[in-house]
Amino acid sequence: MVPYIHARNVNLTFRPPNRAPISALDGFDIDVEEGEFLSIVGPSGCGKSTFLNILLGLLKPDSGEVLMHGKKITGPGSDRAMVFQEFGLLPWRTVQNNIELGLELKRTSAAKRRTVAERLVSLVGLGGFENHYPHELSGGMKQRVGLARALATDPDVLLMDEPFAALDAQTRDLMQVELLRIWREARKTVLFVTHQIDEAIYLSDRVMVMSKRPGRAKKSFIVELTRPREYEMRVTPEFNDLKLEIWNTLKDEIVV
Amino acid sequence: MAAQDLPHASFIERYRNAVLGGLAVLLFFVAWQALFLIVPFNPLFITKPSLIATGYVDLLESGDLLHDLAVSAVPFFLGLFAAVIVGVPLGIVMGWRVRIGYALDPLMTVFYASPLVALAPLLVIFFGVGTAGKTIIVFSLAVFPFIFNVSSGVRAVDRLLVNVVRSLGGRERDIYLKILFPSVLPYIVAGARIAVGRALIGVLVGEFFAASEGIGHAISRFGDIFAIDRMFACILTVMVIAVVLTEGIRWAERAAFPWRVGR
Repeated sequence: MVPYIHARNVNLTFRPPNRAPISALDGFDIDVEEGEFLSIVGPSGCGKSTFLNILLGLLKPDSGEVLMHGKKITGPGSDRAMVFQEFGLLPWRTVQNNIELGLELKRTSAAKRRTVAERLVSLVGLGGFENHYPHELSGGMKQRVGLARALATDPDVLLMDEPFAALDAQTRDLMQVELLRIWREARKTVLFVTHQIDEAIYLSDRVMVMSKRPGRAKKSFIVELTRPREYEMRVTPEFNDLKLEIWNTLKDEIVV
Repeated sequence: MAAQDLPHASFIERYRNAVLGGLAVLLFFVAWQALFLIVPFNPLFITKPSLIATGYVDLLESGDLLHDLAVSAVPFFLGLFAAVIVGVPLGIVMGWRVRIGYALDPLMTVFYASPLVALAPLLVIFFGVGTAGKTIIVFSLAVFPFIFNVSSGVRAVDRLLVNVVRSLGGRERDIYLKILFPSVLPYIVAGARIAVGRALIGVLVGEFFAASEGIGHAISRFGDIFAIDRMFACILTVMVIAVVLTEGIRWAERAAFPWRVGR
């Protein structure tokens, strides 16, 4: 069976003017199954976000192949959407209009946009805040909007680039629970980049550890925890054993 | 006790800043008037507030002041309007298309930095002493604040937002309309604050050179006939208009961009 997302030997080097080139990805491989929740953990600057941006179609690799549905990714497409770490909400738009942005760009009718936005507002638990502006929302609420906006165009794949990194620890825990609930309802393939091993295990079917820059896939770990995930699972021996195993794989890659 | 008083603060407490500013202005005029009691100035060259006030009443009663203001308002607003229509798109393109920006920047800087007032006589020769000539002078002074403010506004645009639009399938046109233009709205208003002052200069200079009516013409005509009181009345009117416009824009800025408050 052909994997849903298939990347082989992906290379990308950034060449900033007047500075030494930076090799972000070197021989990066990955396969993702349809409907899978995959987390990618790795040291800072290992090219995790770079890979997400390649999948999104905003960056082009220097060489290697990146396929989705067996087709080469050549640019942004409505089958993929990103949730950004810094939210990326348009400050002059209300919650509702931010969620509708993707549909607007696809020239969807206003009536259809409204229906979709209403459904998503209640899915992400923002009822009553439709007409608020981003600066009136807390960090957790902003990311709910970011998630709703990404879901609005009904993509097959959700790319999440450290989506909860800008949130405080408690909000982050709650957002993880929320994300699992939403994922259960929306049934998307998710690629989730994070620094937190706990978060990766709790959410994912599989956790992939990347090497330090230039990034390669180092090792994958299957998470055997049953679904639906309960918060209590985070203190079970299985959870902690896996956490330790992943940490031991990751720590050699971290340069202080 | 103080906390209880807070919602019912007296008029003076609530408008303390405005009251202080107003008092200072009042004191200035009182001191000016009082100075004439002490120093015997030659009334041919200098005037005092009481005479200015009488001159004001004369001008208002005869309708001359309002007529001149109405005449001057036309090139003022036409020139400003044209400056927005030309300056904003040009500024956006110069800020977003880096090469166009680099190419045009030196030329624009020359025009912005140099005293374009020097060109006013030439513009009057080209376009006449009427509304057209004055409008062109106003435009040529007022357009550059828009160009420079807007293009620096575009350079400060959050790249993440551009990527958001791109990732959702937006094209170049969408980036201009949905990100760049809304992002630079506050910069347009900031540009307008500077442009209004320059536009007023443009109108006055245009009317000083050659005109048969308008507030600038009135100022120079009253100066020529040593009608210092009425001349001052016109000058003060222009000053008040400048303050009202600039402050009005500042107020509109706060009211129109609530999301800037959160930053």
